[in-house]
Amino acid sequence: MIEKTDQPLSKETTNRLNSVGIIKHFVYRYGLLAVLVGMIVYFSIAQPFFGTFINSMFILQAASVVAVVGLGCTVSMTVGGFDLSVGAAMSLSIMAAAGAMVIGNFGGFSAILIGMLAGVAVGLLNSFLIVYARIPDLVATLSSLFLINGLTLMGVGGQSVAKGMTFNGERTTGEFAPIFKWLGSGSVISIPASVVVAGSVFILVHVLLNYTRWGRAFYAVGGNPIAAAAAGIRVARYRIIAYLISGGLASVAGLMLAARSNRGDVNVGDPFLLQAVSAALVGYAVLGANKPNAFGTLVGAIFVAVLINGLTMFNFPYYAQSFVQGCLLVVALLMSYTLAQSRG
Amino acid sequence: MRSTDNEENLGVQAAPSVLGVSSLVSFDRITKNFGATEALRGVSFSVAAGETVGLLGANGAGKSTLIKILAGIHQPTSGRIVVTGKERVFFHPDDARNAGIATVHQNIDDGVVFGMTVAENLMLDEIAKPGGTVFLGNRAIMRRAHVVQQRLELDLPLTAVVEDLPPSRRQEVAIARELAKNPKLLILDEPTSTLSEREAEKLFDAIADFKRRGIAILYISHRLSEIERLCDRAVVLRDGKIVSEHTAPMDTKAIASSILGELVLATENKTRKGYETVATFSGLTALPESSPISFNVRRGEVLGLTGLIGAGKTELLEQICGHRTATVGDMQLAGADYAPKDIAAAMAAGVVLVPEQRALQSIFPDENLWKHCSISLLSQFSNNGFMRRRREIAFAADVIQNFRVVCSGPDDRIGELSGGNQQKLLVGRWLSRDWKLLVLDEPFRGIDIGARSLISRSLREYSEKVPVLLCSSDPEEVIEVADRIIIMLEGEIVHEDISSNLNAEKLAAIMGRSSSLAKPQKGELLGYD
Repeated sequence: MIEKTDQPLSKETTNRLNSVGIIKHFVYRYGLLAVLVGMIVYFSIAQPFFGTFINSMFILQAASVVAVVGLGCTVSMTVGGFDLSVGAAMSLSIMAAAGAMVIGNFGGFSAILIGMLAGVAVGLLNSFLIVYARIPDLVATLSSLFLINGLTLMGVGGQSVAKGMTFNGERTTGEFAPIFKWLGSGSVISIPASVVVAGSVFILVHVLLNYTRWGRAFYAVGGNPIAAAAAGIRVARYRIIAYLISGGLASVAGLMLAARSNRGDVNVGDPFLLQAVSAALVGYAVLGANKPNAFGTLVGAIFVAVLINGLTMFNFPYYAQSFVQGCLLVVALLMSYTLAQSRG
Repeated sequence: MRSTDNEENLGVQAAPSVLGVSSLVSFDRITKNFGATEALRGVSFSVAAGETVGLLGANGAGKSTLIKILAGIHQPTSGRIVVTGKERVFFHPDDARNAGIATVHQNIDDGVVFGMTVAENLMLDEIAKPGGTVFLGNRAIMRRAHVVQQRLELDLPLTAVVEDLPPSRRQEVAIARELAKNPKLLILDEPTSTLSEREAEKLFDAIADFKRRGIAILYISHRLSEIERLCDRAVVLRDGKIVSEHTAPMDTKAIASSILGELVLATENKTRKGYETVATFSGLTALPESSPISFNVRRGEVLGLTGLIGAGKTELLEQICGHRTATVGDMQLAGADYAPKDIAAAMAAGVVLVPEQRALQSIFPDENLWKHCSISLLSQFSNNGFMRRRREIAFAADVIQNFRVVCSGPDDRIGELSGGNQQKLLVGRWLSRDWKLLVLDEPFRGIDIGARSLISRSLREYSEKVPVLLCSSDPEEVIEVADRIIIMLEGEIVHEDISSNLNAEKLAAIMGRSSSLAKPQKGELLGYD
């Protein structure tokens, strides 16, 4: 911004403005990463256990589910959409997979397939409502949130799905398959399986959005759908695909969550909607992207996990976590909206 | 900071008194830097009360920046603005408005609010004013809007919803909104760029009327004929500086060379006959009730399609380019049947369109130049789905160089470029490849003569390989670039000739034939009223 003086600006003030501009630019691009690094350094010094390998894996594990859902949200945001139904899609796929194993006696891979199909089906419902019925994204996915949550509850009669539960008056005999045990507590060269899965999802989404023509088309559709269509991009198709990916990734996150607890609880996916959306929004401020991006979402998810892990070590009350997270989100949004607009 | 002298006299006849102050608004050594770029480098000039001053300059000369400073959107890096003898600093558009400076921006739709009626639009500033009436029913709005309209001596369709109006009427609403604030100086930025000849005439009448009422006007246009006709004085801006000042009667040639600097004006083109027929269109209908029309396009020619706004040009092009499905008729492209079901299909068949509305239909606001160059050629710049970024950037650099796009490099964001430079890039990106047919809808809208002659020269060169179909409602533009011209009127082709047999006057006469047939202006496009 220009100084509010009546006099023409002297050279000195111009120089000062330039250096302010440089600082602003630095804050805008690296501010959030700098805070994250600073936080990690501080916590590691103050609490030696914080910096250990085991604790880092705890943090990444805590971030992994949010990151996977958040990456799905990120994809739907690149086409200018917004998916409010990811939490519901998670719950549905958890119940579908758990139900398949516990009630239907299916094997692990079939259960994974069923869980993922459930998530993709939610994406299909969303794209039908949005692309064909032309309902705005926000309200369309809001209604599918309720629809899917209700459907999930009705499907299991409102109860949790766990080994030995009674369903329709009969005792079930199925149980969670070994692959879920691995996903929940296994590891690859001492890296937890859920971290490996989340990492792979991140790489896939990052490559998709940044290095492929489909990613370019996603961003084009979100940037200006009319211009994207005029450039020969089939806009409807890309929006459908984006919602399918969003639903699909929500189901992957759901399976990860189910594997962690070895049971399926109703509506357990609900809180992840807001966590994921906030991770994706924090991601706007990472490296000055100012648009949905995979790396930012990952940082957003890890940021929250680091913050909560660190604060818990300082016996920070758990009930203040939301507040801290809110502060983070406000700071990130200030950077990506307010600061971005005041540049130049 | 804010003066209130404009706020109370709603409903009272404006009496912009000439207080013996020689200059109403004057700029004193205004400079504006955007980062390292100097958009304005010490601009000084003034507008006297009641005077109409033309502001000219090529794209990127700094006109838009200057207007935005006057309108309070940008703040100058240095320099002073003096309004009626008092120095003013505009931090916000409201400050400019309160000082009596009203601006009607080039993009008409920025000046109106969609989803509201014309009456609501007129009353909007009052509705938004702090301390204004809390309860304002539809009837009250209508009544008050009526008062405003009578005071301004305008005739607007108060009950119509803004988006149902054709551009010319929206512009009237935008102008009326500004006039309602009793401005001393009215800035009109490219007011005719979206108007047809006939609509422009009406605007000129209105401007004459404003002048009579003593409102000073700063008129920005690329069209010298308009400046010559309307303005008492004209200043030419080039590279952020005022390079010349002209008074009526204007020497348009001197103005043109002053605008362009060392650039040369377009030379007279030879009319070419063309080679083989590439595309044949038969039995298409442009407007719902019009009779079918047929024409063909040959390689080695630029076919110009002209007619007033509402003649059905855009509708015709949209069918050809897959933006809408042709319901009747038959299209042949390079000897094969051609019936694109959407834009992507049309492009796959080799037909591409440079659309009419640049900001709405071609631009991704936050993206950089190299992404704009390759976005419509994604498969050409990717390998198994992976983008070849280096090739994309190299391609953009080529386009920038070949079309002399003024920018600091392919990484610039498109919004940083002036309209003419955006258009050079957006047209240029298509010419790297041999399509089957290149279609352009109003490609010269809002761009300066330099950019226009560069684009039209490249199009003529390109048409040696690929037929070019160019649509424009400006007779001069069509004659400058086309070899053969088709004139449309109310959905039908009324005249076809080679361009050397036509001149701007003849063309305008044929295009305007409707004026004796059809009802004047009101409801021309959509039949409201």
